[in-house]
Amino acid sequence: MKRRQRDAVLLSVIENLGAEGSWCGETHIQKATYFVQELLKVPLEFDFILYKHGPFSFDLSEEITAMQADYLLGLESRPYPYGPSIVFGESSEMIKEQFPKTLEKYNPAVEFVADKFGDKGVAELERISTALYVTLTGVVGGSVESRAQRIHELKPHVDIGEARDAVKIVDGIIEEAYEVQVT
Amino acid sequence: MAKRIHEIRDPIHNFIRLDSGEREVLDSSPFQRLRYIHQLALTYLVYPGATHRRFEHSLGVMELAGRVYDIVTEPDNIHESIRTIVPLHISHEHQYWRRVLRMAALCHDVGHLPFSHAAEKDLLPDGWDHERLTIEIIQSCEMESIWKGLKIQPDDVAKLAVGPKKYKDATFNDWEIILSEIIVGDAFGVDRMDYLLRDSHHAGVAYGKFDYYRLIDTIRILPREHEDSTEPALGIEEGGLHSAESMLLARYFMYMQLYFHHVRRIYDIHLKDFLKAWLSDGYLPVALDDHLQLTDNEVTTELQKAARDENHPGHDPARRIVNREHFRLLYHRNPDDLRKNPDAAEAIFDAACKKFGGGNVRHDSYEQKKSVLDFPILDNDGRIVSSQAKSVTLKNVPIVAVDYIFISPKYRKTAEDWLKQNRETIITQKEEDEL
Repeated sequence: MKRRQRDAVLLSVIENLGAEGSWCGETHIQKATYFVQELLKVPLEFDFILYKHGPFSFDLSEEITAMQADYLLGLESRPYPYGPSIVFGESSEMIKEQFPKTLEKYNPAVEFVADKFGDKGVAELERISTALYVTLTGVVGGSVESRAQRIHELKPHVDIGEARDAVKIVDGIIEEAYEVQVT
Repeated sequence: MAKRIHEIRDPIHNFIRLDSGEREVLDSSPFQRLRYIHQLALTYLVYPGATHRRFEHSLGVMELAGRVYDIVTEPDNIHESIRTIVPLHISHEHQYWRRVLRMAALCHDVGHLPFSHAAEKDLLPDGWDHERLTIEIIQSCEMESIWKGLKIQPDDVAKLAVGPKKYKDATFNDWEIILSEIIVGDAFGVDRMDYLLRDSHHAGVAYGKFDYYRLIDTIRILPREHEDSTEPALGIEEGGLHSAESMLLARYFMYMQLYFHHVRRIYDIHLKDFLKAWLSDGYLPVALDDHLQLTDNEVTTELQKAARDENHPGHDPARRIVNREHFRLLYHRNPDDLRKNPDAAEAIFDAACKKFGGGNVRHDSYEQKKSVLDFPILDNDGRIVSSQAKSVTLKNVPIVAVDYIFISPKYRKTAEDWLKQNRETIITQKEEDEL
């Protein structure tokens, strides 16, 4: 996917998350994009590793900064003591209008993820996305218990009960995702 | 009696101290090689004082990493909710990680190529960068016995030296992430602190200075409560906010004034063109022995020879550097054009290449890697808040982004007239099917 085509998909992720009630900090965009790419198979080609709040892509973080520099994204303050929301910039609509076919093709995947993540806070997103990371990178068919243990090992501040719930939620999402996966 | 603690005079930190075990690392040939790698490549051709080397910068990073470690692990400075991840003060584990951190800081640049970053892009085979070379050197047979003597694991040193972004094969736990951020972190990485202070000092550009004593004193490991999470991160006490702001402003000004000075950037491009022509297969060596034998000295000698000899590979870019006949700035990024087309510079570059020939045009592009520095701040009332909510200054530090198009001096006037006449047509956005 070309860079600006990919930017158009990212803008669509941000727009859809916002429509579903998300305040859209960088963590929301990171985790939603992880699902869009790794579960729904939209070929964004970001490289994710386990880092801040679970799966994290430095490439994506850099692209978000570059989009700000190019007037494609901006920042909006949220009430003290919270950090900023990432919002559309002056030129966002121009890029969306430039790639109508791309957006049409990937919209079902983006909408699916936004629907699941729009109302989630950072802590919940961290648990769910780490659960998907463990599921996709671990032993195929690993039990709920073994995956929950692995999450707790990697992120000790997530307790076993929370990890178990996250794995069950992810299993549900994976099942539903089959219908909207990009082929 | 032999000395156990050694002092080195330093223009930034006055004295840098290390023990005899740590000095073994300093005396190793991979580290001594850094005496011959300029910190800022050919910047000394624009700022004559900027002749300092990676060697003294690495010592400075080690010194600052130790200071930050001592502050953040001091029992009175540890936040209750992250107490479990910090080793007990003065325990064996505490001392182990202090030593690993200092050695990682000392070695974080050992993989640097001749002329530091200038020659890195496009001159290494796919999958290679200086951080990968750093990992390989730290884990090499040559360094193995030194790490053994220091009783530390080479892989722990490598992980902290390059961090999770560049050591993708490794899994980092929360503690290792925090320690690597002390060295390479976006907000409070001591690599950045030292290079801003040192480059500013040597180049004679005052913008890079900030109150780093105060900043380091207030760094803390804090939970990201402002993001609704208990994950630990490096943050500061409220009292350090102004010094943090001043460091991030210093970074912005140093990038705009020094690191992205357009003449400095075109010299980097000419140097890269020279190396591509001179190196047998167009790439710098990645086999460790070959890598360690190549420094700025060997390249400079060859550059001078090439500038004098018309038949030498890379003669043209070499003479442009040595005789100061570099390409001239034709176009640089500006908000008006960006609003019409985010890829305006690329469109102008493509059009200029078609018009004047690819050999007469060069494009240099850079966009800052990270803008939203949302770190936790421990407020005076005990709350943990977002730096972005607390500081209007941090929220408004501009993002560094440059796009330069350079043209051969012989076409300068013609190209300027051509651009004036055709600019609007060139930067018109294309439709999806045309791309």
